[in-house]
Amino acid sequence: MLAWLKQLDELLRGDRTRSSLLSQGDIPIPLRRFMPIAIVLGCAYGFFMGWFAIARGGDGWKQMLAGTIKLPALFLLTLLVTFPSLYVFSALAGSRLTFRSTMRLLVAAIVVNLAVGASLGPILGFFTLSTSSYHFMILLNVALLGVAGIIGVTFLQRTLRRVIDAQWTADLQRQDEAESAKMAGENYDPNNPPALPRRTPPRAGDAATGIFAVWMLVYGLVGTQMGWLLRPFIGAPGAAFELFRDREGSAFQAIGTTLSRLLGL
Amino acid sequence: MSTAFTPTPTIAPTIASRADGLLRDVRAGTGWANRRWYSPWIVVLMSAPLYGAAMGWFSVDSPARVLMPVYIAIKMPILIGATTLLCLPGFFVINSILGLRSDFGEAWRAITGAQAAMTLALLSLAPVTLFAYAGGMGHLDAVRFNAVMFTLATGAAQVVLFVRYRRLRALSPRHGWAMWFWVILYGFVGIQMGWMLRPFIGTPGKPVAFFREEPFSNAYVVIAKLLGGG
Repeated sequence: MLAWLKQLDELLRGDRTRSSLLSQGDIPIPLRRFMPIAIVLGCAYGFFMGWFAIARGGDGWKQMLAGTIKLPALFLLTLLVTFPSLYVFSALAGSRLTFRSTMRLLVAAIVVNLAVGASLGPILGFFTLSTSSYHFMILLNVALLGVAGIIGVTFLQRTLRRVIDAQWTADLQRQDEAESAKMAGENYDPNNPPALPRRTPPRAGDAATGIFAVWMLVYGLVGTQMGWLLRPFIGAPGAAFELFRDREGSAFQAIGTTLSRLLGL
Repeated sequence: MSTAFTPTPTIAPTIASRADGLLRDVRAGTGWANRRWYSPWIVVLMSAPLYGAAMGWFSVDSPARVLMPVYIAIKMPILIGATTLLCLPGFFVINSILGLRSDFGEAWRAITGAQAAMTLALLSLAPVTLFAYAGGMGHLDAVRFNAVMFTLATGAAQVVLFVRYRRLRALSPRHGWAMWFWVILYGFVGIQMGWMLRPFIGTPGKPVAFFREEPFSNAYVVIAKLLGGG
């Protein structure tokens, strides 16, 4: 348990995504450790989210249990559905990330996202205990998960840029070494080494931004729809427990309706 | 043979001297206020109840209602402490993600120092509050008056927070982001905590109670309904 917490701590502190480690060609995020960590953190947030149903009485505990399971499922199922396209798009955009490295990077971003969410869980629980407004709770969850999402996404963008930069720097070094070795076989004077041809380093930032934009678009759209399919997460007061709701409308339409109801419009 | 006279401190530092130390150490970030993690909390525990008692004095119109200031004196440190505890995990994780963990101790001392400063500012305003009550004012005016007192004290706390964070922000601008994260989160949770722990002033004529008899409600829903006219 402590070892797992230590690894989570190292990820949050950025010790596992340092350029020196990334330049070695892999991302040190073992999935067998970080997948369970993501599930536990997601369950923690889902648990606090489910308090609202518990506070309403009845079979609210079922809703809480369902929410606890469904929240990590939302993130990981979205990853499952989108991962092939995310990998293919990044490879086509020139990324050297392997299949495994791409998966590790995305899981790391999800863990960061859920860690922030879980850390805000006590605040969610506190508001749940003092709030009877279902619409407020929906908006609060959107806000808290939104904050967590922005931080997770920022982590992903920063790490992706670092990975691509580290890999391209390593490529250039290899080319330079090969060039030097070739010259050493010809008229090479160690006291007066010839200047190597200047290489223009690839613009890592541009490639990372392109890959990141596509990832966000695909993951965001699928995630929104996945969330809509997996609802209810909170459970409307007075409504009987249901594991999944009928498919109707869209998530964005629902947020607009909720906001107008809260304002009494 | 003469010996130099050395006064022996026989009296434990009083809250006043500690408060004085805190006020003067704020800018330097040194002194006893930084020596122990709990030093600012001693100030909070000593000064917040005193302002709470002064604030609650409004509704004391008979000996039977003297319990009201006592309740409010108890609730003031709960308000500050519980809000801090709820916001601590999020603040810790944000500091970790921003790569500021090595400075977390200093950041935390800055935050607790600012909270101590807020309660000291409130305490210093307690005579003003009592004086205003003595002049006679209605319940709504008392609410507004205390809102102004809290705003002033919060302003003082913000100044202290900015001063304490100055060195940290010079080390890394990301400390500024973490600080604003704390300010927004603390304000958001603190408003609801204050709403839940009502009454803080007490209404003459209404029964003396630790909490209102109505069920807990949400401050933001009330504000949204007021704004929306609902």
